[in-house]
Amino acid sequence: MALLELENVVAAYGNIRALKGLTLAVEEGEIVALLGANGAGKSTTLRVISGLMPPQSGTLRFAGRSIGGLAPGAIVKLGVAHVPEGRRVFPGLTVRENIILGGSNRERASRAELEADAEKMFGIFPEIKPFEAALGWTLSGGQQQMVAIARGLMSRPKLLLLDEPSLGLAPLIVQQVYRVIADVRRDGTTVLLVEQNAHMALSVADRGYVLETGQLVVHGKPEALWDNEDVRTAYLGGRRTQAGR
Amino acid sequence: MGFNLQLLFTGIGVGSIYALVALGFALIYRATNVVNFAQGDFAMLGAFAMVVLAIDLELPYWLSILITLALMVGFGALFNLAVYYPLRNRSFLPVIISTIGASILLENGVLAAYGPRPQSLDSIFAVPGFSVGDVFFDSQYIVILVVAVVMVVVQYLFFERTLTGKKMQATSQDKEMASLLGIPVIWMIMLTFMYSAMLGGLAGILVAPVLFVTVGMGSSIALKAFAASIIGGFGDVTGAIVGGLALGVIETFGAAYVSVPYKDAFAFLVLFGFLLVRPQGIFGERISEKA
Amino acid sequence: MRASVRSGKSPPGVTGRRGLAFGLYATAALMAVMAAVITPLSAYSLNLLMQAATYAIAVLGLTIVLGYTGQINLAQAAFFGIGAYGVALGTTAFGLSFLGALAIGVVLAAGAGAVLGLTSLRLGGHYLAMVTISFQTILTLVLTNWVAFTRGPDGVPNIRRPALLAESGPYLGLCIAALFAVAWFVWWLKTTKLGRAMQAVRDNELAANVIGVDAYATKVAAFTLSAVLGGFGGALFAGGFTYVSPDQFSFAESVVFLTMVLLGGAAAPAGAVLGTGLLILLPEWLRFLKVIYLAVYGGAVILIMIFMPDGIWGYAMTRWRRLRPARPIDPGIIAPLALTRETARADNSVILSVHGLSKHFGGLKAVDAVDLTIHRNTVHALIGPNGSGKTTLLNVLNGIVRPTAGSIALDGVDITRLPPHRRARHGLGRSFQNIRLFGAMSVLDNVIVAAERPRPLPALPRLRARAGRGDGGLECHALGALDFVGIAARAGAQVGSLSYGHQRLVEIARALAGSPKLLFLDEPGAGLNHVEKDELVRLLTRLKGHGLTILIIDHDMAMVERVADHITVLNFGKRIADGTPAEVLRHTDVIAAYLGEERPALSRSYGAS
Repeated sequence: MALLELENVVAAYGNIRALKGLTLAVEEGEIVALLGANGAGKSTTLRVISGLMPPQSGTLRFAGRSIGGLAPGAIVKLGVAHVPEGRRVFPGLTVRENIILGGSNRERASRAELEADAEKMFGIFPEIKPFEAALGWTLSGGQQQMVAIARGLMSRPKLLLLDEPSLGLAPLIVQQVYRVIADVRRDGTTVLLVEQNAHMALSVADRGYVLETGQLVVHGKPEALWDNEDVRTAYLGGRRTQAGR
Repeated sequence: MGFNLQLLFTGIGVGSIYALVALGFALIYRATNVVNFAQGDFAMLGAFAMVVLAIDLELPYWLSILITLALMVGFGALFNLAVYYPLRNRSFLPVIISTIGASILLENGVLAAYGPRPQSLDSIFAVPGFSVGDVFFDSQYIVILVVAVVMVVVQYLFFERTLTGKKMQATSQDKEMASLLGIPVIWMIMLTFMYSAMLGGLAGILVAPVLFVTVGMGSSIALKAFAASIIGGFGDVTGAIVGGLALGVIETFGAAYVSVPYKDAFAFLVLFGFLLVRPQGIFGERISEKA
Repeated sequence: MRASVRSGKSPPGVTGRRGLAFGLYATAALMAVMAAVITPLSAYSLNLLMQAATYAIAVLGLTIVLGYTGQINLAQAAFFGIGAYGVALGTTAFGLSFLGALAIGVVLAAGAGAVLGLTSLRLGGHYLAMVTISFQTILTLVLTNWVAFTRGPDGVPNIRRPALLAESGPYLGLCIAALFAVAWFVWWLKTTKLGRAMQAVRDNELAANVIGVDAYATKVAAFTLSAVLGGFGGALFAGGFTYVSPDQFSFAESVVFLTMVLLGGAAAPAGAVLGTGLLILLPEWLRFLKVIYLAVYGGAVILIMIFMPDGIWGYAMTRWRRLRPARPIDPGIIAPLALTRETARADNSVILSVHGLSKHFGGLKAVDAVDLTIHRNTVHALIGPNGSGKTTLLNVLNGIVRPTAGSIALDGVDITRLPPHRRARHGLGRSFQNIRLFGAMSVLDNVIVAAERPRPLPALPRLRARAGRGDGGLECHALGALDFVGIAARAGAQVGSLSYGHQRLVEIARALAGSPKLLFLDEPGAGLNHVEKDELVRLLTRLKGHGLTILIIDHDMAMVERVADHITVLNFGKRIADGTPAEVLRHTDVIAAYLGEERPALSRSYGAS
């Protein structure tokens, strides 16, 4: 049984159908990449999984449990952490406070435990330790991304949802972020990664899915996807041979 | 010189009341983006509760204060459920109107229950105050200042040192992100209203021995506190305090040097001035260009 | 409403129906006035009816500013008071005639309203509410404390009525006649150009500005009209009760007016009259509530906001519309849309010239020194990954956001500092990424708002003259725009009932109706399926064929490649490529921006699997 299973999930913003029957699965211990052009429905997929958006139809299962329609608070308690697009570090709180709040789903944890775990996070992300007392809004994009991931990991998730971690970051910083992502998987956390930057995503992923206007177009191992013409056209157009397109 | 110092002291005392109410505005605004037009009526309720408990029921003063504060906390919860929660997803206009309706309901409800005659609460101090040179320090004003300072410190400690305080801050800064982390957003907002109502009630308890306790006192304090918030920067905690104190001082000096009946008008003239020239106030961020 | 294209005037059937309705209305008014004059009523009843009539006039003012324009006004009692004191002091202290005093009162109220409206330039929402409350409070303070002039809290007694109307019956007749007249005026206002502008500002101020509505001027007009009606009602009120005092014109009274308009329904004059009637007459039957009636008002406001935000009349109208869907407009034979007379200039000269344009938000450089040149009669695409600054750039070009540096020239005219509605007049049109239609107006009205603010076209004098004479010309032009995009058949429908794809088409039609030279389309393909996208591509090609220049943002590269003549690529706010599709889409920087670096060995350098 896969850790996360989506079957024929349909989701809409008002009149717009963002997901038109999506089926995918993520096995425990994997890094799976979700690719596609802007507007393809990648972020929507994560929002439906983490409970920010209810699905219109279809089933979502996490560790065997049905999670479609649950509130975000309930889903994070089950072990799904969502690091949303744009990082969304709390601007008026310090780095340390942001990270500690990541443990808000762990009701039984004491303040001391959370502080200790925060220290462990600084061990994983040594680049942000010097900034632990800095307010969120003063950080650079790359630093914010580290904080956001650390905050997500504080909830001790089984599944980490990462939405466009490389967005707006300089290439060097992106490499640092992806080093962290690979490390995270090594510690046993499963990762579902949404990216526009296909190269980076496929360089760490075990498998990839490609979305186009809310539907799955192709999926498979990174080498196969990279060679696939469909992946290119999903991003850059150029498909001339098929009629009606 | 002594006269001016006296005015300054009185102005700061009055300003502290405005600051407490403005603080309540700021907290609710940050958490919910709602301007609560009934904020001043929390003060009015606090004052009337004191009258009922300490005078009519002849309970000891300290007990009356505790009961009033407890009642105001409960009232804040009720207010949230009845006025804000049903409208939390609608645009700002229905919510503003709803809080205005609540204000009218509260004022006239109390009016119906208690009648229009202004009440008064005697000062509890055996010593009315003491003089230093030309300046007379009224005991009640000293208490107001001290309590205001204590509240600000307590609030600072709560928001900066406790985890719940941090969670409430997180909720005001990014509600959706807070919910993603498992922070109980609805409960955080409830706490905000409860605390804010208590602050308002406290302002009422403090000011009751100084002013006449009337049904309309809440509205006039609220308008001043609102003006103070605009001057200091809406939603900014420091701005609420600075704006409140500044307004109290301006008003007191204005009443003494210019005209007493129009002293209320000063608040609004200053408010107009800021709204036209610098709407974001002293500490506020630039009101974003309309996009 | 059938549009009769050839004559340019409204068809006879409609005119006849309108005439009949007006006749009935006038007859009803006359009968009511006569009833007021002849029927022997107790002084108590007379007072009640006079209060109801004069209050209703003031509440109709709120229909204009709140119902039509969406601006909150908590100073209506202040305007009411200015009108009342105008008559009171004018007839007693200054010996003016009733009419003269009334005129002065109304003019003063109008001035005050205009001033309040002027403050709305930089403020909206709760700030504006605060300004109105402050004004209201200051006025009450002045009325109470400026004893020398206003007689203070004692008020002004012995106000004189006009000689002919000294008796209460005839005076009531005057009030009722005035009410009928004002109610008709407010109803008629909704159908005018200003009325449509007000509704556009209420529904979507940003879009209104972009299609040419001067939202600020509209708001000032709304406040002024509201104040005029408030003052007028107050003036009649003073004559009716022959005594005024400051406490009748306090903030509480403003809340009462607000409750009346909310209860009845703010969007239609019938709602104002209904709400006033209910809230004045009902309490008389609930005498025992007198002590707490204001408390009940307060509670009522909360409940109305929660359960019936459109008021009683609004609720009834929504039900009525659901039972009886709007008759579809039969477009008849629609004249082809006169899009632009620029086809004479079928050259490729530069139509938009952008130099060094930057927009910084604090430290973030959303747009960084971008140069852009768009040539006439082309489709120019602007692409780039998420967050590259495309929509910000478009917002700067439209005037919604002010640039930090740089210049924009449209056909040689420097538009860098112009507000959005002026740019529309120079020929910029836009459709938005998130649909910004005027939700409470019909499809046709959405387009008419833009059609009545066209770019001045010296080559089309006939169209302008026709627009002046009745709605015929305007309607034709609007229907023509709708027909061009293919949805003229839905012209009578409410926009909310259309599918997403059709709403998008209405937006484009609305942009076209202003006769733009240069059309911005922000992600027009978003949310469309393949069939709809094909139709969109065909539409764009036809637009190009009519001499229109288009700037399009979209992420569907296949579509962009089909329609674009020229592509500019942004990344991190900077321009990284500019050229033909063939050049740009194979450019290594562009591929890197979207896909990441060109594929190196997938060496899994970041961790063992």
